[in-house]
This record gives sequence, C-alpha cells and structure tokens, in this order.
Amino acid sequence: MKVTGGCHCGHIAYEAEVDPAAVRVCHCADCQKLTGTAFRTNIASLPGTFRLLNGAPKIYLKTAESGNKRAHAFCPDCGTPIYAAAPEPNPTSYGLRVGGIDQRAQLGPPARQIWCRSALSWSMNISGVERAERG
Amino acid sequence: MKVVGQCYCGQVSFEAEIQADKVRVCHCVDCQTLSGSAFRTNVPVAQGTFVLKSGEPKTFVKAGDSGNRLLHAFCPDCGTPIYSAVPGDPPSYSLRVGTLDRRAELLPARQIWCRSALPWTSDLNLPGAERLERQ
Repeated sequence: MKVTGGCHCGHIAYEAEVDPAAVRVCHCADCQKLTGTAFRTNIASLPGTFRLLNGAPKIYLKTAESGNKRAHAFCPDCGTPIYAAAPEPNPTSYGLRVGGIDQRAQLGPPARQIWCRSALSWSMNISGVERAERG
Repeated sequence: MKVVGQCYCGQVSFEAEIQADKVRVCHCVDCQTLSGSAFRTNVPVAQGTFVLKSGEPKTFVKAGDSGNRLLHAFCPDCGTPIYSAVPGDPPSYSLRVGTLDRRAELLPARQIWCRSALPWTSDLNLPGAERLERQ
C-alpha cells in the first residue's frame, strides 16, 4: 500500500510503500519517553520504497542497551517523530511513525506488540475510560 | 503528585506538581501526528509549580482550531515532547506522561477527540496478535 506522511508543521513530507497489516506497537520505556505517551506505533517501509519529498529531518543517534545504533529522525521545527532507520547513508527500510502517516486509519490493527513487560497497564484496554467525541 | 521528568537524551529535565486525577488521552489528529503514535497522554500541572531544571526546550507555536495559541515544547537534540503551555502569567502547562518518572502510577480519567481515534486503540488485547515480553 502506498502511503504519504510528514510532520505537523509541513516541513517534512515523504512517501513509501507499506504492508498495512504490519503495524507494530512498542511498549519499551525509551519509546514511552520519546513519544511522550504510552507506546510507540511503527510500520516498516518496504525495502527501497521510502522517498523523502520535502525537508530535512534532524537525526538523533540512539544507542540501544544491546549497543545497536539507530538513527531517529524528527522535524527540527515542530518535533514530530518521522522514522527510525539504520545509521547509514541509504537504509533499505525505515520504521515509520504511524501517527504521521496520512492513511493511518487504514493501517493495522497491530500484528505485534513488543516489550510488553514495560507496558503501562491501562494502555492494554482503555474502553472503560470516559469518552468525549470532541475536546 | 510531585513528579520529575526528562527527555530521552537528558538535556531537558523538569519537576512539577501534577493533577494526577486529570490524566487525559487525546485522540485528535494533531496529537497523533505530533506523538507519531496513536494518541497522546497528558496531565495538567498545578498552577505555578512547573520548574525547568536543565536544558532549553525548543518551542513551536500551534494554533488550535479555535484560534487559541498553544506552545509545544520538545528537546531540540532528541525530539522528546516535553509540554504544551497556554501562554499566561504563569503559563498553564500540560506534561507528556511518557516523560515522567512516575508514569506507571498515572491512570487516564478521560479520553477526548474520540471521533478521530484509531479503532484498535480501545482494546489492545487483540486476538491473533503477537505479544512479546521483550523484543
């Protein structure tokens, strides 16, 4: 499936191909911090399909506990997280942040959840939390 | 509740007294994009208690649908979202729960903008989805 995405302020825009069934949720403590919320939601771009159409994301080089390094890209102007990828000039695949994908409502449900041992307990089921359709 | 928080890379740190019974999940499309995930999780700060301990977050001025201006702060180095603030004296801060040391103790009391919620977020106990304790 072809998707388009970008940041909130419009500086960054990209397109890519994804498998809409391949959404992943990550509950690790690093993802909680870096998103500011309960978990991160990612989808991998199919090899060779990611194309940056506009802007230049800022890269933060993150070193995992394992020693692996990942380039985390975000918009330098509005802070929107864009992707994570191998820290090399032309990575094959990009872990796209689902919240920035225009077609996100058509993606998922998540096929895989990782680092569930650090999941915030409430995040697994929020159906009982008071709901408002608007703000 | 007194909390301390910081961005992933550690440059920005802060402390505040939060209104722990007012944790909110926001499903609006802007919060999806700006978190890169499915929804944002926020908690309001008791007036006048937010103290920036280190670092200098970058701020982005976001105009709401209503025309209200909201400051969004994030770490310029690692991109971690830190707060939103309604300008004033003192400003009204809302913190991103994922950055708080005591986030595991905070339970959402309300969900807003449910009309744009990604449908799978209601219950993550998805039949057939893989759940891993680690990666």
